[in-house]
Amino acid sequence: MKKRRKNVTETVADTTPVTYMNPVPEGEIPMLRLTHVNYRYSAGTPFEVKALDDINLNIRRGRITGLIGHTGCGKSTLVQLFNGLNRAESGTVELDGEDIWKEPKEIGKIRFRVGLVMQYPEYQLFEETVRADIGFGPKNMKLSPEEIEERVNEAAAFVGLTPDLMDRSPFDLSGGQKRRVAIAGIMAMRPQVLVLDEPAAGLDPQGRHSIFSGIRDYGRRTGCTVIIVSHSMEDMAQYCDDVVVMAHSKVLMAGGRDSVFIRADELEGVGLDIPLVTKLTILLREGGMKIDPGLYTVDAMEDALCEAFGLPLYCDSPDGGPEKGGGRA
Amino acid sequence: MKSISLGQYYPADSVIHRMDPRVKVICAVAYIVASFLCKNFFSFMLLLVSAIILVLISRIPLRIVLGSMKALIFIMAFTAVINIFWITDPGAEPLFSWWIIKVYTKGLYHALFILVRIVAMIIGTSIFLTYTTSPIALTDAIERLLYPLSLLHVPVHTFAMMMTIALRFIPTIVDETDKIMSAQKARGADFTTGSLSDRVKALIPVIVPLFASAFRRADELATAMECRCYHGGEGRTRLRVLKLHARDFVVLAVMAAFIAGVVLINICGARNGWLYTMTIA
Repeated sequence: MKKRRKNVTETVADTTPVTYMNPVPEGEIPMLRLTHVNYRYSAGTPFEVKALDDINLNIRRGRITGLIGHTGCGKSTLVQLFNGLNRAESGTVELDGEDIWKEPKEIGKIRFRVGLVMQYPEYQLFEETVRADIGFGPKNMKLSPEEIEERVNEAAAFVGLTPDLMDRSPFDLSGGQKRRVAIAGIMAMRPQVLVLDEPAAGLDPQGRHSIFSGIRDYGRRTGCTVIIVSHSMEDMAQYCDDVVVMAHSKVLMAGGRDSVFIRADELEGVGLDIPLVTKLTILLREGGMKIDPGLYTVDAMEDALCEAFGLPLYCDSPDGGPEKGGGRA
Repeated sequence: MKSISLGQYYPADSVIHRMDPRVKVICAVAYIVASFLCKNFFSFMLLLVSAIILVLISRIPLRIVLGSMKALIFIMAFTAVINIFWITDPGAEPLFSWWIIKVYTKGLYHALFILVRIVAMIIGTSIFLTYTTSPIALTDAIERLLYPLSLLHVPVHTFAMMMTIALRFIPTIVDETDKIMSAQKARGADFTTGSLSDRVKALIPVIVPLFASAFRRADELATAMECRCYHGGEGRTRLRVLKLHARDFVVLAVMAAFIAGVVLINICGARNGWLYTMTIA
């Protein structure tokens, strides 16, 4: 990693005005801001691969951002830049308006502020009890035992781990439970930004739903900025506020989920699945039905269909839920 | 982490790449023996020249060959320095002397000899084996060569299979280690600062999951092998049947000639009292 440091500052000095695909409102400092970020693997060898190509991106605070792209488009590489596990070859990563590499020796502190849950995190558990494993991060933060205990319990509650599991060995749990323990281990550090790399990979639909809704609740209740990496449009449509689409090491689209999903044809163009509901709308429109083209959640589709057929609106939950109605562009 | 791969197969098209792996194993052993047979200046020079020729005909970039030597540079320097100061030559004037340190010409030559020997051994094994032979071919060859031992009920096939699996999983484990270390760093683990005992303790969060996953992989692999009806070597046929070609016999002949040459130079040297003959082998 050391060799790549050389040209970091030069490229930043490039003062051509940066156009971010998702500009932030005037006066708001984005939680994370990436400017002219480049990254290559095996640089300088015949095996060189460009993983990130001039990434300019804002991640807005307090929102849930979905990062979508095909396998190998650079998603995982990108998230490892957020907390300084890797350093960009050129360009800057700013956390709350400050370059995270301003003090390279203090990068450890950045990792407490940007919590990263890596892919298949259940394979990093090592402690004797679930409690101790969740407490590993807070312990590294040198917090008091009471504080650690409090945070561990809080995090465990967020991911739905029952108290009876807390003193078991993490190796005795089921795959889904292990995954929750690993996610709780990061939440317990109370990071400002929570990044999850494919948090639901390999889980059944029910497991996916419960992990994602747990994460969404966590984001809503703590106000933490959440970034979810996934290749499932379906999940992103349901749980995210903003969506960033990556393709071929570049950011293809970024913005509110409405503005992204309405460009369904472009998404399909780069080989990404569009949500089933969107597909259905396209088909219905082709068939001559007058229906809103920007639908992407089941609930919104349900309402639209009821309306189109003149049926009374079917309401399954009395309050409608936060995702309801928002599913219309 | 990537530097762990001390020797790695480097695909290229050369005579050595196309040789039968069994012959390559024999050649590698013979080459090491030859490096120990060398006794005087001229035989060592022959050894050095042969090592250079080997690198040239294998078409492995010099940069890569030298890279594999980097790991052993300390050992090389250490043995050379020891030789310079250790060897005494009672009959000769010291080249340099200070306090109890005396350096003789003979010591310098000894150091040079040892260096050439180590370099030749590294080049011999890496050119014949690691760089030009895929791990699978290598274990195949070893299994075939050790076949006589199975008559003595040594489980040769099992050993070869174990070796294949071990080699196959080295890159996987290295990758896994990288990932786990990143994951623990993301949780604030610190592997680089603190006292020695701190750093050893910091490795626990890496080693425990690594072992857990190694056992998990072993288990999965065993199941997968059983599902494919693997039951050991008995009655097992091969996809690639090793066959000796004309070039293999030529190489063996050249190798034999090389060893004969070394021995001849040694005998000549002993008879004519050539300078700088190595006294201890």
